[in-house]
Amino acid sequence: MFKILKQVSDYAQESFLAAKYIGQGLSVTFDHMRRRPVTVQYPYEKLIPTERFRGRIHFEFDKCISCEVCVRVCPINLPVVDWEFNKEAKKKELKHYSIDFGVCIFCGNCVEYCPTNCLSMTEEYELASYDRHELNYDNVALGRLPYKVTDDPMVKPLREFGYLPKGVLEPHDLAAGSKRAGKRPEEIIKAEENQKA
Amino acid sequence: MVRAILAPSKRPNKHLAWQMNTGIDLQGNFLQTLKDIGLPAGVAKALWIPLPLFLMLVTATVGVLVVVWLERKISAAAQQRIGPEYAGPLGVLQPVADGVKLVFKEDTLSSKSDRWLFTLGPVVVVIPVFLSYLIVPFGQNLVITDLNVGIFLWIALSSITPIGLLMSGYASNNKYSLLGGLRAAAQSISYEIPLAFAVLAIVMMSNSLSTIDIVQQQSGYGVLGWNIWRQPVGFIIFWIAALAECERLPFDLPEAEEELVAGYQTEYSGMKFALFYLGSYVNLVLSALIFAILYLGGWESPIPIEKLAGLLGVGETTPWLQAIAAAIGITMTVLKAYLLVFLAILMRWTVPRVRIDQLLNLGWKFLLPVSLVNLLLTAALKLTFPFAFGG
Repeated sequence: MFKILKQVSDYAQESFLAAKYIGQGLSVTFDHMRRRPVTVQYPYEKLIPTERFRGRIHFEFDKCISCEVCVRVCPINLPVVDWEFNKEAKKKELKHYSIDFGVCIFCGNCVEYCPTNCLSMTEEYELASYDRHELNYDNVALGRLPYKVTDDPMVKPLREFGYLPKGVLEPHDLAAGSKRAGKRPEEIIKAEENQKA
Repeated sequence: MVRAILAPSKRPNKHLAWQMNTGIDLQGNFLQTLKDIGLPAGVAKALWIPLPLFLMLVTATVGVLVVVWLERKISAAAQQRIGPEYAGPLGVLQPVADGVKLVFKEDTLSSKSDRWLFTLGPVVVVIPVFLSYLIVPFGQNLVITDLNVGIFLWIALSSITPIGLLMSGYASNNKYSLLGGLRAAAQSISYEIPLAFAVLAIVMMSNSLSTIDIVQQQSGYGVLGWNIWRQPVGFIIFWIAALAECERLPFDLPEAEEELVAGYQTEYSGMKFALFYLGSYVNLVLSALIFAILYLGGWESPIPIEKLAGLLGVGETTPWLQAIAAAIGITMTVLKAYLLVFLAILMRWTVPRVRIDQLLNLGWKFLLPVSLVNLLLTAALKLTFPFAFGG
């Protein structure tokens, strides 16, 4: 007799709890109504890539010494280094260099290990093409300067979270010259130099 | 918008006390005008008949466009997106664009499907939903027909829908569709019973099945007189069951995209799919309207207009007051309905979909006994406090 009463009361309690939780959930979704959309209207607005962004790789042909370190550190030995040994100069002579960005995972090992810094990361990430073979960049394509969001008059560049002033969450309508939270790298260097002196 | 009560004498006498003024009689005026021009009475009547029907069809369709836009915008807001933006101001033309796209799409028919059932399915789903608008009142006289079995007609018509769903699911010759159709049938049948019980409790308090009488029984005290206070359990049961009947999100198993592709809609495209789409949204608006009528006082505003007019010394039969009251009535009904639609959309992004066993457990083991107890309790309260519970 009492057991069934307990069962009934437990069940009622559970139902009330369920209703309470649904109410809490509804208040959370309702709160979202007043938040600003985080949408970036992509072709018209673009986020500025961060300093350490790993985009398409830039290659400087004249700096390369054909050492093939990039090939060895690459997880899949992707860069193709085509060189010939010049017996008179006793030097390797680079003829072609290419990286297939359809296969590259942008890990950045090649950039990290290149002894002459002829490889570098760019902020370019729009690599879409109709044919995957177009993604196989030769040394000419690799040597092109990257497209910059901030230089495109058709695009409104937006700062990412880390580059907004303290307490600001909205990259639209930023005041001109507003700085990001914390110190900039050059400020840190200056402070250190002052300390030494 | 409409009209309908043939004459005040058609109503039972006891309502005449509330109903001192009959409000605006659009039909009477229309017929009188035509007769004055010199048309015979029969012709005038025949000219009138299609008008409210056509108006209701347009109202329902426009209502759907608004709901589709609301659904997209509110969903976007709940996810901190923008939603449709470029089709018209604030994207209001997006549902029109969707509709036009569906009209021009190819009407596909899968091989080995049953052509007749496949075509009939969406029709059987859509027609009862539109027919149910017959009994939705937007004001004292703003209803197509004041049937004395009004709310029962809605329950009866809504139980035709699962047949159409099962039909289209079975005829599609596709396992997903069949499963979706079966789920739809199981769900509709099990949630119809608590729904009917919740409605029955209201009917018991109003002593009438007519939607007009149900609203009038709640009138006079503004927000305090609404049935939501007298049926605190009933309205929750009704809302849950109505969501299940509309296949809205916590209960959208029949078309669960992740499991069943699109359930019974899998094989449909073009206009046939558009009919399902239209039907589901019309049904949502209809359920919200019925909820507003049953529990939120229909066209009554939170502050009773008649009382306010009485305080200001304006007679009840003043023409401009009647026009304003009718306008406020329509606004109130629509406002309440859209508030409920908003709640349904918010619910969609708050609660996860239930499993089929949870769905049936909730329907048979929770809603059914609770609604029965609610019905008995209402009966007991009606006998004990006849003044407050419509004795």
